[in-house]
Amino acid sequence: MPKRVLIVDDALFMRNTLRDIFSAAGFTVAGEADDGVQAVNLFRELKPDLVTMDIVMPYKSGIDATREIVQLDPSAVVVMCSALGQESLVMEAIEAGATDFIVKPFRGEDVLAVVKKVLGE
Amino acid sequence: MASASHKYLTLFIAEASEHLAALQSELVRLEQEPPAAPLWDSIFRRMHSVKGSAGTLGFTRIVDIAHAAENLIARLKAKQGKIERSEVDLLFAATDQLVKEIVKVEKKEEDESTITLVDRLAQAAQALPDPGTAALRTPSPLQPPPTAEPTLPRLDVVVVLSKSCAAPGARALIVQRKLKAMGTLLEMEPTPAQLMQQKGGARISALLATLTATDEVREALVALPEVEKVDVRMAPAARPPESRPRDKTPPPIVSPAQVNVRGQVTPPAVDADELRPESTVRVRAEALDQLLDQAAEVMHGIARLREATKRLPDIAAARLEPDIDRLRRTARELHGRVMSARLTPFSSLTERLPRAVRDLAHRLGKQMEMEVLGADVELDRAVIEALGDPLAHLVRNAADHGLEDPETRKLAGKSPRGKLTLSARRERDKVFVEVQDDGRGMDAAALRRKAVQSAAMTAEDAAALSDDAAYELAFLPGVSTRDDATEVSGRGVGLDAVQRKVESLGGKVSIRSARAKGTTFVLELPLSVSMANLLLVQVGAEVYGIPLHRVLLTTEYDLSARGGEGFEARSLVVMGELVRAYGLAKMFALPSLAPPGPRPFVVMEVDGIRFAISVDRLVGQEEAVLKPLFPPLDRVRGLSGVTVLGNGRPLLVLDPRGLAELCGIHSAPKPTPAAKGAA
Repeated sequence: MPKRVLIVDDALFMRNTLRDIFSAAGFTVAGEADDGVQAVNLFRELKPDLVTMDIVMPYKSGIDATREIVQLDPSAVVVMCSALGQESLVMEAIEAGATDFIVKPFRGEDVLAVVKKVLGE
Repeated sequence: MASASHKYLTLFIAEASEHLAALQSELVRLEQEPPAAPLWDSIFRRMHSVKGSAGTLGFTRIVDIAHAAENLIARLKAKQGKIERSEVDLLFAATDQLVKEIVKVEKKEEDESTITLVDRLAQAAQALPDPGTAALRTPSPLQPPPTAEPTLPRLDVVVVLSKSCAAPGARALIVQRKLKAMGTLLEMEPTPAQLMQQKGGARISALLATLTATDEVREALVALPEVEKVDVRMAPAARPPESRPRDKTPPPIVSPAQVNVRGQVTPPAVDADELRPESTVRVRAEALDQLLDQAAEVMHGIARLREATKRLPDIAAARLEPDIDRLRRTARELHGRVMSARLTPFSSLTERLPRAVRDLAHRLGKQMEMEVLGADVELDRAVIEALGDPLAHLVRNAADHGLEDPETRKLAGKSPRGKLTLSARRERDKVFVEVQDDGRGMDAAALRRKAVQSAAMTAEDAAALSDDAAYELAFLPGVSTRDDATEVSGRGVGLDAVQRKVESLGGKVSIRSARAKGTTFVLELPLSVSMANLLLVQVGAEVYGIPLHRVLLTTEYDLSARGGEGFEARSLVVMGELVRAYGLAKMFALPSLAPPGPRPFVVMEVDGIRFAISVDRLVGQEEAVLKPLFPPLDRVRGLSGVTVLGNGRPLLVLDPRGLAELCGIHSAPKPTPAAKGAA
């Protein structure tokens, strides 16, 4: 069964890029959220296998959203998508429970390499 | 002799110097406290480390001295009794000689005979029973690893991160989390924090106490993204001190603090987060200076870019501004990081002082001990360097003038041993350094008398001073509390120099004193010196900067209505107080272009005296990187530094104290400015 992904990013461009990468690799994109509040709601509703999480977003940051998601489900797999130079934010997100991270700008294979590893494939 | 071109030579010199500097203060402690095992171990380890590294590089004379000293140390420790002064002297002699030898190595000079010293050390050792090596080999019972599971197997773990890793700090944090999930993480180096912002590849070594099998640990780590290589093996149960430094090249790049921790036996359990974040890499000090200069240049460049966009059409400027702002933030962060890389612990200043105090005490026939608090408080390297002389001066002063001789102290009901306390503490962006003695305290009456005698102020003015204000008189040139100038600290000469130095760093000195209780000099210093907030003022065609922390306020006033302005004082009312006003144009012999009428005044305060300087125009405010003046400008009174403005033009920075002197305001303490021409 294909793995189900929730893509969280406030930039449509990033969401589209990630959707293409995941679709091409045989994942199912279960949903997309463009802010942290929506991300938590969709996670609760969709129970995806994987969440890709932007850090800086309106209403609720990716870090706070990650913290809430991990509280809902300690086995949740959340991969942060951070821009170069946001290392301290990424580290904060890891402390908050994020599973791993990828650094933008990324290539499809970078994303998939990390995702496959964290999903244990 | 040795292969002086050995690639570890610089490292050896730096490390050995650090050990020897630390030895100086540890040897002093031998005399003061009943020496405990950890102190002996540390002394032994330092000597041993110097010997080991020197041996690797083939510096036989250093090895000989260190070896002989090490033997003596081992026997003294085993003796467990009182240490004779002569024995400590001998160890000092050995340390001093080693310092000289290291200097020779540095200068590539040939060795001269050290046989006599080695003989004397050997004789002293022979006079003591041989403890064997056991005494120093056994792990000290005083330093058990504070873990809950000291008996768990320990694994040495090495994790190599891939070169493409864009955020090694974050990656290391994930590795750390994984390790912690499998056992007790005793050590991790470098820490995630240390790896932050460092591009590409990293080698992390860790010590893990765990029941998890090595294979399992390896697999768990290999499964992490961006982990290129993992090596997991059982750690040796204990590491005898003999086995390590002697035969190998010196252990690479560890700070003295880490040597303390790791040099011997079982490494203590330290949560990796608490590992000291500094000193994983040695960097030449000049390299950091250059880096700082360049970071400053980048900031200037960006400031110039901002200036340039102002001349662009609004639409174009609006497009550029966000990017420039981002660039500016990054550059400022870069500058901040370089600044913090330059931070140096207070201990680098104080390490040599206990030795100096010991020698002083012997020379003055006094008993004194010295305590250093806050040795790990960090200051900018520039501050540390500039502080060396003033601090040594204050300590000498306290030892000489402050502390009484043992008889006097006994009569006063004090312990015959005087106490000097040197402390550093950080409060937000300031560091407070205090030199405290428990001696006789300052004599306010005598200071008033001296100030009057040296014509610094009138008798009435002196009498009007509170005791606290009178203590500050000690900063006046030529005022001292003791009549007998001594060989050690002279006649109080130099307190004014201390004040000058501290103020040139943007700091302040104050004195607290109580009769028969002691005196404390408080140095309030900025964390870093090179950034300053400046008020830009214009006179004629020239723009000058005034350090904002000296500016009380700016105001506008029309003096021309009262008969022009000039070098000589006029007055204006500031906050209900009459303040003398001077013209900057006149002071620097510049043509003033401002029309008659109201003009801006900058009100400053030096030593509690307020004065106003008139300028043609207030230009604005700028954060700037200050650089020292170069000759011949450094001789111009009233100037303190130079910087480069956003528009690329150099800017001279005014020195408020110098201006006050130019104006003829004598730098006497509050409340009464005694008018006396000093210019």
